[in-house]
Amino acid sequence: MASKSSVVTLPAKARARRSVISGRQHLAGYLFIAPWLIGFFLLTLWPILRSFYLSFTEYSLLDDPTWIGLGNYEDIFLNDRIFVQSLKVTFTFVLLSVPLKLFFSLFVAILLNKSIRGISFYRTAIYFPSLIGGSIAVSVLWRNIFDLNGYINHVLSWFGIPAVGWLSNPDTSLLTLVLLNAWQFGSTMVIFLAGLKQIPSDLYESASVDGATRWRRFFHITLPMLSPVMFFNLVLGVIGSFQMFTSAFIITNGGPANSTYMYALFLFEKAFKNYQMGYASALAWILLVIVAALTLLNFALSKYWVYYEAEGGRSK
Amino acid sequence: MTKASKKSKWRLGLTLLTVALALAGCSGGNNGEGGGAPNANDEGSGGSAVKPVNLKIMWWGPDARHQATLKALDLYSKQTTNVTFTPEYLAWDAFWTKLATLAASKSMTDVLQMDGAYIQDYAKRGLLEDLSDIDLSGIVDSKLIEKLKIDGKLYGIPLSHNGTGLAYNKADLEAAGITLPAKDWTWDDYFAFAKEARAKLPEGKYGIADNSAGWDWFQFYQTSQGKDPIMVDGVKFNLDKDLWFQFQQTYEQFRKDKIVPPAQVQSAFKENDPKADPMASGTVMTRTATVGSVSVLEGMLPGKVGVVNNPTGPSGGGWAQATIFLSVSSSSKNKEEAKQFVRWFISDKEAGQALGMTRGIPINEEIYKELEPTMTKMDTIGKDLLNTALDKALPFYPAPPGWEDFVKTYQTEMESVMFGKQSLEKAYENIVEKGQETEEKLSKK
Repeated sequence: MASKSSVVTLPAKARARRSVISGRQHLAGYLFIAPWLIGFFLLTLWPILRSFYLSFTEYSLLDDPTWIGLGNYEDIFLNDRIFVQSLKVTFTFVLLSVPLKLFFSLFVAILLNKSIRGISFYRTAIYFPSLIGGSIAVSVLWRNIFDLNGYINHVLSWFGIPAVGWLSNPDTSLLTLVLLNAWQFGSTMVIFLAGLKQIPSDLYESASVDGATRWRRFFHITLPMLSPVMFFNLVLGVIGSFQMFTSAFIITNGGPANSTYMYALFLFEKAFKNYQMGYASALAWILLVIVAALTLLNFALSKYWVYYEAEGGRSK
Repeated sequence: MTKASKKSKWRLGLTLLTVALALAGCSGGNNGEGGGAPNANDEGSGGSAVKPVNLKIMWWGPDARHQATLKALDLYSKQTTNVTFTPEYLAWDAFWTKLATLAASKSMTDVLQMDGAYIQDYAKRGLLEDLSDIDLSGIVDSKLIEKLKIDGKLYGIPLSHNGTGLAYNKADLEAAGITLPAKDWTWDDYFAFAKEARAKLPEGKYGIADNSAGWDWFQFYQTSQGKDPIMVDGVKFNLDKDLWFQFQQTYEQFRKDKIVPPAQVQSAFKENDPKADPMASGTVMTRTATVGSVSVLEGMLPGKVGVVNNPTGPSGGGWAQATIFLSVSSSSKNKEEAKQFVRWFISDKEAGQALGMTRGIPINEEIYKELEPTMTKMDTIGKDLLNTALDKALPFYPAPPGWEDFVKTYQTEMESVMFGKQSLEKAYENIVEKGQETEEKLSKK
């Protein structure tokens, strides 16, 4: 309160001086962030606006863009069967991989939240693979594991089970990529772990005094208290899965029979294989709308299950 | 991707950009000095003043080609002291992505490698310089040059001979007592070979691969029967229905009879990967190969590989011609120097030694003869393939620009058939629909 009132009653002179300084400071400030600003306007904002314009043109890189109005969008929605297929693949991927990853990373986070000896070693060891994250190396490794001559089939052969084309059969290829995505649980798990640490232990103590079982404590304390974190991970997970590219590109290249032809890969090939930049831009904007819509939906649904303690219970 | 990581990516990117700019500034300065020094020397020794020139050059290929080319560039800089190079070398995919971007910003490199599948596209947009005035007599066969001209102009200097055919696992076929493929075999011979191999090979091994998803494999069949290619003049769609069904039904029957590998094995193949290559892995006895790439196979199966031309029909089979070129960009400021360099690249003997067979069989007969004494089987197998392919060869029909979607659709539809998820009739319908749609689009332009 005190500081607030002092601002309001600042003498006129002091205010004037402050604004001079802040004017100079403004300039210095802008200069200091100029590299970022230039980067933002030139490398982010301009390309975004440009891609919006290009989405209404036909542009092959070699010729100048020609305006075709809604032509690209018409083609995409009315004629393009591959668009439908890639959406189907991507939605399936999101629907399977997001819950699986959330579940798996929460499970690991709970295990790593136990206070046993050497827990920091386990935490490091389990988080360690995430340092190499979604890199190309991991994708290549995954290919080696699930290849027709890969490790898994090798182990299966010990038991007389015939080789399965995990990646080379359209029935299993997408699932194998889902599994890879779930396996890259590191950062999600760390956020869950931080969330778990935030839950006051007296809640658990009083609950156990009241005779609540482990499961009850999990469902009535851990889950509600963790729901904002869960929500955060869910939103990011959905956005991330929609943009999944690397593993589909490296491991399966969209095949076989387009069974792993993710939307981002489709977009990439349109742009850099077919040089249909206008078409690819239109695809990018459609992806943006889809992801934005799903994110809004997530926010709308969140009021039914996310619990913010600070706001005294179920909130907006 | 999280917001935080995106931001840090930007930050990293900007830092790198700053560093790159700083470095570019430095090296630019150095180049100026470096270029100036020998210049001064020349003047001292009584030569006339030569302006220092930096040529940007870009090519694609495997590492061996990169190393050899860098050596050749060094050599040129030593022989022609006023010329330095800024080389850039990439893999195939990355090369075309980058080149298109450079073309869009009118900043293509002075000299660039070109491919037969793209040269028309780039030439017709005025991006390449006409090289007809380079004197190639005694270096390249003049008949060959005439064939390569586009509207009477030469937009790329051919570097090597290329051609297509089949490689086969000679050792394994002989061991199993299977009749070896013979030069100028027909498609019927080819299919009969597949059946014989099935009868004589153990389970899990096959005579031929299931190439039914490759549009170009069927095109070989169609053109060998005297028909036009699938894309006539780059714009007309031409798929022969009867031939197509005859061809695809053969493969369908082969899949049933296990004469070709099952779909999941077929789609796990990765050519030139020692473990996943259809032939190097020991699964299939034959594989399509080109003059430029067959040596890789010989490297993986030393001493076991034989070569034969593509199955033929009444009008021939396969193709054999130059497919790799060096072109000069029409926006180059150093066209004369670039042209001199390009000529040197295929005519200088030292360069020939440095480059070896890294771009296939040198177009210049003299250079090839120089190399011959030191050649190993890995080098000569390409020549063997070329020799068997030459006399029956048909023209090279790559997919023209605008047909990328069609190629993709063809593959996807046929893969669905291979996995038993779709009938041949349905696949044909979808393929034809896409072909007609493409034709319609291209005819509007």
